[in-house]
Amino acid sequence: MPESTITTGAHTDEYSASGARLVPSAKNRENRMSARVWALVMRWLVRLAALITVAVLVFLIGYILVMGIPNLKPSLFEWEYNSENVSLMPALINTILMTGFSLLIATPLGIFAAVWLVEYAKRGNKLVKVVRLTTETLQGIPSIVYGLFGMLFFVTQLKWGYSLIAGAFTLSIMVLPVIMRTTEEALLAVPDSYREGSFGLGAGKLRTVFSIVLPSAMPGILSGVILAVGRIVGETAALIYTASTVAAIPTSVFSSTRTLAVHMYMLSNEGLHVGETYGTAVVLLVLVLAINSLSGFVASKLAKGN
Amino acid sequence: MKRKIALVCAAAMALSLAACGNTASTTSESTASESTASESSATAEAAGEEAAASDFDNTQSITVITREEGSGTRGAFIELTGVEEKNDAGEKVDNTSAGAATQNSTNGVMTTVANDETAIGYISLGSLNDTVKAVTVGGVAASAETVKDGTYTLARPFNIVTNGDATDPVAVDFINYCMSTDGQALATEDGYIGSDDAAAFESTQPSGSITVGGSSSVSPLMEKLIEAYEGVNPNASIELLTTDSTIGVSGALDGTYTIGMASRELKDSEVEAGAKATVLAMDGIAVVVNPANPIEDLTIDQIKSIYTGETTTWDAIQ
Amino acid sequence: MSTRASNTKEVVMKWVFTACACISILAVALICIFLFANGLPTLFKIGPLKFLLGTTWKPGNDIYGILPMILGSIYVTAGAIVVGVPIGLLTAIYMSRFASKRINKVLLPAVQLLAGIPSVVYGFFGMVVLVPSIQAVLKTDFVRKTLHITNGKGMSLFTASLLLGIMILPTIITVSKTSLDAVPQSYYEGSLALGATHERSVFFTVLPAAKSGVLSAVILGIGRAIGETMAVVMVAGNQTWMPQGLFQGLRTMTSNIVIEMGYAADLHREALIATGVVLFVFILLINVSFSLVKEREKNA
Repeated sequence: MPESTITTGAHTDEYSASGARLVPSAKNRENRMSARVWALVMRWLVRLAALITVAVLVFLIGYILVMGIPNLKPSLFEWEYNSENVSLMPALINTILMTGFSLLIATPLGIFAAVWLVEYAKRGNKLVKVVRLTTETLQGIPSIVYGLFGMLFFVTQLKWGYSLIAGAFTLSIMVLPVIMRTTEEALLAVPDSYREGSFGLGAGKLRTVFSIVLPSAMPGILSGVILAVGRIVGETAALIYTASTVAAIPTSVFSSTRTLAVHMYMLSNEGLHVGETYGTAVVLLVLVLAINSLSGFVASKLAKGN
Repeated sequence: MKRKIALVCAAAMALSLAACGNTASTTSESTASESTASESSATAEAAGEEAAASDFDNTQSITVITREEGSGTRGAFIELTGVEEKNDAGEKVDNTSAGAATQNSTNGVMTTVANDETAIGYISLGSLNDTVKAVTVGGVAASAETVKDGTYTLARPFNIVTNGDATDPVAVDFINYCMSTDGQALATEDGYIGSDDAAAFESTQPSGSITVGGSSSVSPLMEKLIEAYEGVNPNASIELLTTDSTIGVSGALDGTYTIGMASRELKDSEVEAGAKATVLAMDGIAVVVNPANPIEDLTIDQIKSIYTGETTTWDAIQ
Repeated sequence: MSTRASNTKEVVMKWVFTACACISILAVALICIFLFANGLPTLFKIGPLKFLLGTTWKPGNDIYGILPMILGSIYVTAGAIVVGVPIGLLTAIYMSRFASKRINKVLLPAVQLLAGIPSVVYGFFGMVVLVPSIQAVLKTDFVRKTLHITNGKGMSLFTASLLLGIMILPTIITVSKTSLDAVPQSYYEGSLALGATHERSVFFTVLPAAKSGVLSAVILGIGRAIGETMAVVMVAGNQTWMPQGLFQGLRTMTSNIVIEMGYAADLHREALIATGVVLFVFILLINVSFSLVKEREKNA
């Protein structure tokens, strides 16, 4: 019985085909049997693990979609939010504004920082080490700590109040390492011959960077930026104490706003609109998943281009 | 050695598998049990209370649900039930058992109570719906009438708070609107208890913008009042920030909010600092249990002993 | 003329780039300064031992002890690791050494999707699906009479661990898969040549070679789990007691902050910020150990 299962396995599994067979040895038959059982168990264990991962994802997304889609009413998308329609439209617009502002701050900073790391910094520079270390630290900080910092620094110290701009600055620090890292990788992937060619034609360093290196690294940079967008759209904890929860389209950068993720948290907390909460969850989920898939798509375009 | 590693690996795997398997299989199970629960409650209604009582295992421990520290609902609840008591030094001590599960929203409390048949919680009367069951307190059912005539004792004011008297013309006009027949009718419509003898409202149509902030219990009502007021006076714009009673009062005092909201009485220290409260409406606090729970009535003392952790099982309630 | 202008431009831009690179240093410095400056005085006002080792949290009476939350965070994180690491690691092994290209074409995006789901959606899912399901299982006679687990609650350490275990799966999978992929094929082939099966070669040759990568995956997973906020708040029960067992609720440092922050004033608020500082110190320690592991990997 196990024999037959093993052979079927060998057909579907790429690596098993490469000849995982024990050399038969008469004196150690029992050992061989147990080894075979062990191999079988391990093979099914890893498959099961992969299956669980996929099953969890399918179940989670499926559940939200099944519960939420019937609740997607036109009133959810009305221009003005009020307590009757609990429209998610202002929150959606706020999300776009928040994303725009955060990227406006984080993208140039992140790209320039990466340009410095790759194109300008000398090997073994002490500053490079410190920059790397701090970037890694930033990446590890949980969003609630960003939220606390944003509240203490932007909201209280700089007296910006609970506002769009305080939220945007907090988020831009949060996504800075994401953009820096992907840009750095994309820049490193640009072949040195491009730079040499540009220098050979008499272009200066700056010109080389802006007209040769950055354009060829664009898809990689773009996929990093899109990843950052995904993170911004899904963020809650860092925004509650920086941008607060007003469900209206802001009149200035100092207005308090509520993004879609925060809106969903508020709805699920108030509990007066269970159906609408599911509906909002669907919109949020689809938005974030679409953004992330877009990033994957752009990245794979890059892989093909090379 | 290798075998040991493999064994440990397999054991860990099996454990997590069991866990996942459980959750996956029980989703269908729980929907099934939900339907049986509703069926059994239907039959129980027909057969009278005893059938339901036999169905409900009252030796189970009580899941006590409370709100977070600082919540106006919690503040009013512990004060009214005597869970908060003065100790020997004369300080007020909140004796809520540390084993009480904390939810930071009315919905969190309702969802938990609706999903756990051993749970008990408390929510604003205005938010009550049929996913949970409100018990009578000392024989009195929670309703607008019983709160108004004072027989239902678990009631608290919704206050609007200003730093001294309101001076901002928009704030004055808005407060007048809230206290008028129109505003009070909105409150009553929402299940809160407004005043009957309010005056009619005439707006002076001031223009400007103000900020209202504070208690999350008051804010659903405030949201409606603001919407209605902005319909009456299009010149005004009012921003609503939902935080909490304590922040609502301190915000009104330090000028962050033009008007603060508090779902409890003001503390002495707050009154001394110059806070002035106007009662917007009264709100009852409903004590809620799971619909499957046969219990119908609790006295204030019983509620207190549950929340202080003296009574831990449903059959211990006399 | 134009050469000089472009020279100035070159120099200016170089400094602009350098300045941008220093933003991350500035950010970390600001975060440290502001958190510590706000948190440490409170810590000393309350008393470091009283604050860190106190077992009672009663802001109403100015009693601030966060030991229950520290333990809560550690337990939940450990639970998430117990759930997430075996599944994640085995999935990574499968993707790296067992699955065909076609299967990986499905699995890889699936893992990325899992990573992209916002934590508030995870929390909502946990609240409406996991909690009631686990509650129902705990009510069954089998659990209560045969396993002798009585009075278990749906909102518990177990539920939080399970949810967080799922949430850290993408981190564990991607990081360990990268390091498994990086193991030279010659290791695997050498093992095969010695007569080992495919499975044996993978588990006893490739996996040990990727050890430090797996270790960094676990450390990153710990970092993610201990810092998770929105999902934990919705499923953990948030009791302020010392953790009472696998099937009882508890409160983590993150949920302590997010539950009470909006509602706190004065010393209470400062105590919550101090809780954030303690959490931040935990994260810094995790980051340091992560860099150490990476350093060792580089030297090896």
